[in-house]
Parts: sequence; structure tokens; C-alpha cells
Amino acid sequence: MTGRTLAEQQPPGPDRDLAVGLRGASIGYGDVPVVQGVDLTVRPGEALAVLGSNGSGKTTLARGLLGLASVLGGEVTVLGAPVGRLRDRGRVGYVPQRHTVSGAVPATVREVVGVGRLARRGLLGRPTAADRAAVADAIEAVGLADRVRDPVASLSGGQQRRVLVARALAAEPELLIMDEPTAGVDAANQQALAGVLAEVSSRGTTLLVVTHEAGPLAGVLTRAVVVDHGRVRYDGPLAGAGPLAGDAGHHHPGDPDDHPATGYRQHQPWTSSRPVRARDGEQ
Amino acid sequence: MEILQYEFMQRALLASLMVGLAAPAVGIFLVQRRLSLLGDGLGHVALVGVGVGVLTSTAPVGAALVAAIAGAVLIELVRARGRTSGDVALAVLFYGGIAGGVVLLSLAPSGQATNLDAYLFGAITTTSAGDLAAFGVITVVILSVVWLLGQRLYAVSDDEEYARAVGLPVLALNVVLAALVASTVVLSMRVVGLLLISALMILPSAVAQLLAGSFRQALLLACGIGLVVSLAGTTASYYTGTPSGGTIVLLAIALFLLVALAVAVREATGRRRHRRKVGLHAAHPHEHGEGCGHRPVPHGDHVDYDHDGHLHAPHRTGTGVHYDEHGEHPVPAPVEGKAGRP
Repeated sequence: MTGRTLAEQQPPGPDRDLAVGLRGASIGYGDVPVVQGVDLTVRPGEALAVLGSNGSGKTTLARGLLGLASVLGGEVTVLGAPVGRLRDRGRVGYVPQRHTVSGAVPATVREVVGVGRLARRGLLGRPTAADRAAVADAIEAVGLADRVRDPVASLSGGQQRRVLVARALAAEPELLIMDEPTAGVDAANQQALAGVLAEVSSRGTTLLVVTHEAGPLAGVLTRAVVVDHGRVRYDGPLAGAGPLAGDAGHHHPGDPDDHPATGYRQHQPWTSSRPVRARDGEQ
Repeated sequence: MEILQYEFMQRALLASLMVGLAAPAVGIFLVQRRLSLLGDGLGHVALVGVGVGVLTSTAPVGAALVAAIAGAVLIELVRARGRTSGDVALAVLFYGGIAGGVVLLSLAPSGQATNLDAYLFGAITTTSAGDLAAFGVITVVILSVVWLLGQRLYAVSDDEEYARAVGLPVLALNVVLAALVASTVVLSMRVVGLLLISALMILPSAVAQLLAGSFRQALLLACGIGLVVSLAGTTASYYTGTPSGGTIVLLAIALFLLVALAVAVREATGRRRHRRKVGLHAAHPHEHGEGCGHRPVPHGDHVDYDHDGHLHAPHRTGTGVHYDEHGEHPVPAPVEGKAGRP
């Protein structure tokens, strides 16, 4: 595969300089591996898409980096430390795959985003002026400054997703891991998100975005890794990921590896444009 | 206020004041975590402590506290293992607690105060000065911990996985919360009884959750509601001669039903008004579009239409498009969202 060769042309430096390093890594739950034998190096400042169909293992890969799935073999380093021994997890930002913020008790935008700052405040630390400023900046960055006091439940789905992005940004992370940030979000909110990520990336933050449709973020993400059946099938420029993945000669229904020319629209979701609702919750 | 002339009533009111304040402050995290019945289970476990306390002639309050906290820590460790057998383990712990308590109390030598009812349903007027001092310490500890760790407890209760991913000490915080619940259980034992404890933790929070706009507001409101129903219930029970625990809980339930009804009525009127308008426009089907005769008014990502002096905004649903009065549906259901998710 050309893509794999591209990545190999740049030999990985020492792991401690990497944002993410996987060597022959197997990741899974209990003792069942979902992802197997994955080699991947992500340098600081890179903007990477992890592509794949449902059940391909792309989410498990990301969860392994977050300590939410177990490393069953090989090596996984995050920000230079083996994933289990990363002391300061606050340096890693996380936007979970979730549609809405849903607690039983109402919470404001500021309260939810404030949680993102906790990891930076030590065990008992009270919020300092710097903490408050970081929270305010994160809310500002996602364009919700006029909604800080509103209950999150009163926001539209796309806006709630932006609240979760702000929560991750409040920690001022060096590595930002997002799981399907654009799924189920209307075009306007997808554009807003792309703008936020471009800004975050320009500040040197490493981005790792798990998605089945990199299209909306194509301007931000430059490199793509395609995961299929728990293995990396492609690693190279984002632009080459769709057709290359389709050439893998690996076709079965529901698999996004299919080439656009096959006509199965749902089989190449990250190059398709999604239908846009006439009206979004933005007022 | 003749009620305040009696020392036992003064002690009773003081005890109910502390319980009313502390129980909802802890309970709101259980509501957020959808673990409302944890307090109930720990109440069962505390009965073993009471049994041990009575049998060994030490203070039942202290022994109950030890038993409940030990049970709470055990529960969190079982939950952290995350196995399906955890559910059965909890059942064993809870029912083992109440069964052990009943058996131990029955073994107490005759002549000792082993009134099971008093522990199960509360006996506020038997609160001694010593109990009151212990309750005071427990209350101060509970409120201090909530003040210190409240935001972290909220984080863990709201999104445990996220808290784990960003490195918050999830297990420790869960154990702290469980220990707080255990302390509250023991604190509330005299006032509402071990079988009704959960109600005083959960109901004020349930009311507050319907009214508040922020978590902080909900927490303060829940404490306020707890304080009022607790004092009012205790006072009422003095005049009616009914048990304080049951009276307090019935008051809280009445308040909850009242507020839930009011909120439901408010929402239903809003929906009916919306349906009437939709029906009105269905009567003269007309799809707005270019050159439809109504003045187009661009608004953000969509175009509204001036329809006889009011703005119509397109609203797409699964069955097609209709037009709302402008400003309706601030939170459209995420319609297309489910399709593309793994």
C-alpha cells in the first residue's frame, strides 16, 4: 500500500517525542482484542483522522489511548508515556461519542465546561482566575459565549456537542481525542466545529478525530488512518483515503471500503455530503 | 410556639433541621447518577450496625455508622469491578444487612430498648443530647465535603467515563460519595427511619431538578426544600400525633407531585398551542418558496416567510415540512443523528 509506505518514509523518533505511539498494539476489552497489531506514530501538532466503518475498531483504538480500553499486547504511548503510566491525564482532551449532555439534574454551559478544567486543578484546588479564564475562553472558542448561564438541555443537539468540545478545550490539552464529533450534527454546526478545530490545531494541539465521515473536517485534518477489522489498512494523506481504501479489494455490505463508483452511497460516507436540515436549532 | 417549650421537641427540631439540610445535599448526586436507591440499600446495611451496637451496649449510632460506611465502600468496590454479578452481590449485601440486623436485635437481652420500629421508621422524640452532638459532627462533615468536592462529585456523577479519561480519581470519589450516603443514612436514622431515608435524600432533589436552571441552583434549592419539609413535617407530627418520618416523606411527595403537575401543565399548554397553529396551517396547505406570494425574510441558515403579519419558519420532520411560528422549537430533536452512528 502506498499510504503505508509514505508513513514509513519518515522513521519514528524516540517515543517520548511522540503525541501517540503504537507498536504492534492490541487493544480490547477484558481479554478480547478488538484492534490487533497496529503500528501508528502521531507527531505533536499533527491532525489525524481515524476512519473506519461501524465495528472496525476505530473507537476502541481511541479508547485505548484514553485508558478506557485495555492494552492487551504491544506498546501504546501517549504524550511520551506508556498509556497506563501517564500521570497527568489532564494533558489529554476527550470529546466522547455522545449526542447530548444528559444528566438528570440541569446544569449550565459553564458548569459542564468547568468540569473539563478539574483535571488541571489538583485534588482539592479551588478554581483560580486562570481556571475561570480558561473555561470562559473555551466557551468563547465554540461560539457559545452568550449561552454560558443557560441550561445545557435548552441547547440544540449541535450546540450541546460544541459544549462537550469546549469541556475538552478548557483543560488546554496537548492532545485532543474526539469520537465522531460530526455525526448527527447539522451543516452549520459542522462548519463551526471545523473552524474551532482549525484554530486549536494552529496552536499546536495534536488532533486525533475518530470518524466515519472526514468530509466536514477535510480542511483541518491532513492525515488519515483507515481501520478495518481491527487493523490499519491505510495511513497517508486524507485526500487519498477514500479511493485507496476502496482499492483494498475487500468488499462486503456495510463496509465503507467500497469505492464511490459502486454506487453504494452509504458505503463511502466520509466522502458523501449529508442532507442538510432546513432549519437548525440556532436562533 | 408551645412546641418549643418541650426539650424533646427542641432536640427533635434540631435533628430534623440537620437532616433536612444534609440529606438532599448528598442525594442530589445520587439523582444525577441515577442511583437513587443506594441510600435505601445502605439503610438496610446500617441495621446490622444498630444490632451490633445494641448487643454490645455501645452506641448504636456509632456502630451503625461503621457498618454503613463499610457497606458503602464494599458496594463501590463491587461496582468498580463492573461485572454483572455485582447486582446479585448488592442484593446479598442489602438483604444480609437487614436480616442480620433483625436477628441480632432479637438476641438482645430482655429489658433493653430494642424497639425495631424506632430504627426502621424513626423515633425523633427519643433523640438524646448525645445523639444530637454526634449528628452535629456528621452534618458538618457532610456539608464540608460537599462544599470541598462538590464539583468533582458532580463530574463523576454526570459522566464517569469522561472523568476516568481525563484522570480524575473516579474510584476514590465514588467511595467518598458512598461514605457520604452512609453518613447521611445514620444521621437520618432517628428522624425518618432506615426504611424512609432514601426519600429524604431523593425527593427534595427531584423537586429541585424540575425547577432549577443550574446544578448549583438545584443543590441549594434541594437543601432549602429538605429543610422546610423536614421542619414542617416534624412540627405537623407533633400536633397530629403521627410518626415524624412518614409525615415528612408524605409532605415531600405531595410537594413533588404538585410541582411535577405544574410543570407538566405548563409544557402541555405550550404543546397544544403549537398543535393548534400547525393544524391551522394544515387547513390551507401551502409550501413557502420563491415567489409564493409571501415576503421572504432571510434568517441565519433558513428563510422565514411573512404570512399575514407573522413569520413562518420551515420545520422539517420525518413526514415532511410544515411551518412554525418563528421562534418555536428552540431544541429540535436530532432527527438525522441516529442514522450515521456506529
